[in-house]
Amino acid sequence: MSELGSQRDERRPDRAALVIAAGLAVLSGVIFWNTASIGTAGSYARIGPTAFPYAIAGALLLISIGTALRAWRGHFPVREADEPAPILWIVGGLAAQMLLLKVAGFAIATGILFALTARGFGRGPLWMTLPIGIGLSLAIWLVFARLLQLSLPAGPLERLFL
Amino acid sequence: MKKFIISLLAAGALALPSLANAADYKIMAPAAPGGGWDQTARTMQTALQDEGISGSVQVTNVPGAGGTIGLAQFVNQASGDPTSLIVGGYVMVGAILTNASPVSLKDVTPIARLTGESEAIVVPAASDIKSMDDLVAQLKADPGSVSWAGGSAGGTDHIAAGLIAKAVGVDPTKINYIAYSGGGEALAAILGGQVTAGISGYGEFASQVEAGALRLIAVSGDTRIPGADAPTLKEAGVDVVLQNWRMVAAAPGLSDEQKAAVTADIEKMAKSKSWQDALAAKGWADTFLAGPAFEEQLAKDITATEGILKDIGLVK
Amino acid sequence: MDTFSLLAGGLLTALQPMSLVYAFIGVLLGTAVGVLPGIGPALTVALLLPVTYKLDPAGSLIMFAGIYYGGMYGGSTTSILLNTPGESASIITALEGNKMARAGRGGPALATAAIGSFIAGLVATIALAFLAPTVVKLALSFGPADYFALMVLAFVTVSAAFGSSALMGLTSLFIGLTLGLVGIDLQTGQARLAFGVPDLLDGIEVTTLAVALFAIGETLAVAGAGARAPDKIEPVRGSVWMTAADWGRSWKPWLRGTAIGFPIGAMPAGGAEIGTFLSYAAERRLTKHPEEFGHGAIEGVAGPEAANNASAAGTLVPLLTLGLPTSATAAIMLAGFQQFGLQPGPLLFINSPQLVWGLIASLLVANFMLLILNLPLVGLWVRLLAIPRAWLYAGILTFSTLGTIGANPSQVELGMLLGFGLLGYGLRRFGYPIAPVVIGLILGPLAEQQLRRALAISQGDLLVLVQSPLAIALYLIAAAALLIPLVMRLRGRGEVLNQLAADED
Repeated sequence: MSELGSQRDERRPDRAALVIAAGLAVLSGVIFWNTASIGTAGSYARIGPTAFPYAIAGALLLISIGTALRAWRGHFPVREADEPAPILWIVGGLAAQMLLLKVAGFAIATGILFALTARGFGRGPLWMTLPIGIGLSLAIWLVFARLLQLSLPAGPLERLFL
Repeated sequence: MKKFIISLLAAGALALPSLANAADYKIMAPAAPGGGWDQTARTMQTALQDEGISGSVQVTNVPGAGGTIGLAQFVNQASGDPTSLIVGGYVMVGAILTNASPVSLKDVTPIARLTGESEAIVVPAASDIKSMDDLVAQLKADPGSVSWAGGSAGGTDHIAAGLIAKAVGVDPTKINYIAYSGGGEALAAILGGQVTAGISGYGEFASQVEAGALRLIAVSGDTRIPGADAPTLKEAGVDVVLQNWRMVAAAPGLSDEQKAAVTADIEKMAKSKSWQDALAAKGWADTFLAGPAFEEQLAKDITATEGILKDIGLVK
Repeated sequence: MDTFSLLAGGLLTALQPMSLVYAFIGVLLGTAVGVLPGIGPALTVALLLPVTYKLDPAGSLIMFAGIYYGGMYGGSTTSILLNTPGESASIITALEGNKMARAGRGGPALATAAIGSFIAGLVATIALAFLAPTVVKLALSFGPADYFALMVLAFVTVSAAFGSSALMGLTSLFIGLTLGLVGIDLQTGQARLAFGVPDLLDGIEVTTLAVALFAIGETLAVAGAGARAPDKIEPVRGSVWMTAADWGRSWKPWLRGTAIGFPIGAMPAGGAEIGTFLSYAAERRLTKHPEEFGHGAIEGVAGPEAANNASAAGTLVPLLTLGLPTSATAAIMLAGFQQFGLQPGPLLFINSPQLVWGLIASLLVANFMLLILNLPLVGLWVRLLAIPRAWLYAGILTFSTLGTIGANPSQVELGMLLGFGLLGYGLRRFGYPIAPVVIGLILGPLAEQQLRRALAISQGDLLVLVQSPLAIALYLIAAAALLIPLVMRLRGRGEVLNQLAADED
């Protein structure tokens, strides 16, 4: 989506924005589909659990049409090109933390997030930032889990202090 | 978040003594810190450690979906481990059914019922309804005109309202039950006279009843609540007995000896001074019941709950 | 009068030298933890409460009050400086506050937040002391139909946070409303948009969404901008203190925010954030500098911050008089009070007047201590922005995820954090406003449940919605907020409204 940004002619359809419009239409469809499967048990309120979802899905459909029209006319705010690499580093860090949290414990998982985020901003090398991140996270773990009794997942490093 | 936070207090206050050793018991509270199950787990932790029944006890929280997320995780991970325990309660019985949970209480080894609380039926002090008879009369005349405020749909409060309707011969699908997301919000609606009646655990209403802002018209347990001037539902002519109990269960796949050993430890804990003091401080009623008697009561509760949830139309 | 002598007695205890030391320590600890991004005031108080257990009752009460105010203020600090609100009530503060901080005006933003919080806390605490029984009667008379009318008013005012395009604002709002549908429907127990994932049955946690959209989305956007963004933000441009003009523009919003926040906080189902929305909308309509809104208008920080603090004092009304905790922070305070032997409820003021007045006196003293401690620190906090952004954002992500993991260490929760973080990045990239998403998640379920409750109690009679005078008044305000600018614009009157017109695309 990023390469479209700066070179776009004012009046040309904005392809990325058309994708957004399509996404909103799909979201609306998913709500319609999901709500159709909900039973409407009799209730004194007359409006049951399906009324709001249908209303929201309908509104999303209208918004999607409005977005498509606007995208077609190229009326979206001008965007500058973004760099994908830093974003991927950080997303990778968050994903790694999510996957490793239970196995490796808070300090290692969060230390990796720290180091990969720093890498995303161009700071490294990892052999230096990783120990810094893990050390910092371990200190946080000690303060919050040991001192303040917050329940944070423990891994091999944390068990040394249990 | 809210629940989590209240909890941390409890956690901070109660978890301090646990510093060393390998964990003798690991107790899972299948709820966020702060709620009833979490408090039960942490009170057990303190009692087991103080009485020297267990050197060190760890409590973990796995919140969500009426305890069924924790239950599923417990069944998968703790199978055959005689040191793993899970706290649960009557709410779980309903949640397993309404959430179509893949695991049920049959997949764990129930050990004992620990505490229980009566449901209380209240009306605003200014209400024309003076007794359970008045409420039943109005319910029979026009079920829709009686709006009941209580906790979320399918929970203990809703089940109790359904059972009352059924017992007096009113179609349970016709009850006008208004769900609130916490005892506090329901209490405000009752005090403000927005609804006809309120139904929830007695503890939610106790201080307002004492202050005369609410009229207690019945309680759901099999005995009256000491100090509260209200009949049981049975005494008031409604054949319903319901208790919101909490229990402890062990992992699936235990041998008979292992099960007996766990039961002995829990029984020792339930008789201990530390546990009894904690019950008194928290205002929990001691309803300890173990062995076959507990299993029988559990089976009975599950059947009755399944029946009423189908009657109300929450379970197909 | 009895009330006065009791309050005077409480103040005497609270002003003892040792009490002042405890208040100081409490404020210091509360600010230190509360200032960590992703850790809001509720969590701060919960984490630090056990620290107070070891003191005598009077000392622990005053330290508790200090922690409470410190945590509240710390939360606003990260919201303003780092655009990472730790809870829903400081989201609106981030809107203008962070823009000010980026323009080198973080100092005045923090100062107006601190002084506004102080004034709101002072006025609201005094109102609590003298008006609690009256206010609570009024709050209880709010039925579901009235709450629904209040939600309609809140929805109308959300448009103030829409930014430059109504279509984009509505898109954000409806994404939020969609997220609000996820989970078990409270009234019927039916699962909606959960797709069989058990973790979704309880719905989406507001804190998770807010932290993801703001903290993670912001980090990704800054990282993606790469070399375009400056490596450091200039922390101070102009004065680090509030200028005379800042004072002139702040004092009215402080008072208005207090007047809006206190009654809404006192309503059992009002919610602290709704007061901040209404205050922001009011300031935006009343300001003499509409062109600055969206680019760092000081009124947009002063009003909502005062409303936030006033509503926090307002939540003490139902808490003390009825024992009803109506917000996350109030729920912890309830647990705290019980620890001090204070049993909130209708008999509290009769049974233990010493404790209640001691608490109120402690709140007043701690509020004052906060101001004394934090005004000199403003210069220091602003320096946070001077940290090179690689370390700053790595630290922000570390603490933001810490808050989520502490609440619920589940992979699904962290997965949502990542997913919503990417959503936040996408929204920023295409110029969509962020706040309406969170507002939709908060308001949608409230509005739906109140409407359905009102209709169930009336057995389907739609007239119930417009039968109470309170509801009618709220609808009239909402209609005025919607129509007056429209009418005035049609008549082409005044610079202010031309600006509004230009804003609406």
